Amino acid sequence: MELADRAVGLLLTLISLSIFTYFTFWVIIVPFVDSDHFVHQYFLPLEYAIIIPVFAGVALLSLLSLFVGSVMLKSRKKNKKA
Amino acid sequence: MLTFGKLTYSQDKGAPFSPMKHIFKIISLLAAISAFWVGLLQASIIPRTHTWLLPIYLVVSLGCYGLLMVGVGLMQFPTCPQEAVLLQQDIAEAKGFLKDKGVDVGSD
Repeated sequence: MELADRAVGLLLTLISLSIFTYFTFWVIIVPFVDSDHFVHQYFLPLEYAIIIPVFAGVALLSLLSLFVGSVMLKSRKKNKKA
Repeated sequence: MLTFGKLTYSQDKGAPFSPMKHIFKIISLLAAISAFWVGLLQASIIPRTHTWLLPIYLVVSLGCYGLLMVGVGLMQFPTCPQEAVLLQQDIAEAKGFLKDKGVDVGSD
């Protein structure tokens, strides 16, 4: 269905734009704001801006390698049977 | 080489989109940004604990850009409904023809 495709596309663009703006604000703008401004309660401490992407990247890479490994094992099993 | 009567027009030696020049531009831009970042680190403007902030920011923004392009492409994908109907008619016709000739046309 064309409408489902467009809805998924819109969702993806919104997610990517929001992640980009939040991360940009976090890394570039918030460090230069005064410590007692109210904005700081919406953002975690700056160390988490390093920990969270690294953790997400490591999780993504391990999931990818798990997937590739499982596919390779399945194809080898099929080859042995045939 | 195109020839219009006596005039001959030959293509220039340098193609407009040389594949190597684009990547040199990207590499030089990355080198400039990382030199700036290392300079900021060395001058102690940014504490050493935040060393990896810039590379991570670049990787995250690259991932976001890829996701954005995928989303935009999905939204703008043309579906050609008339061609879909014609294709279904072609498939039905081909199936009927092959079934007459005795070929097994599979799932139905």
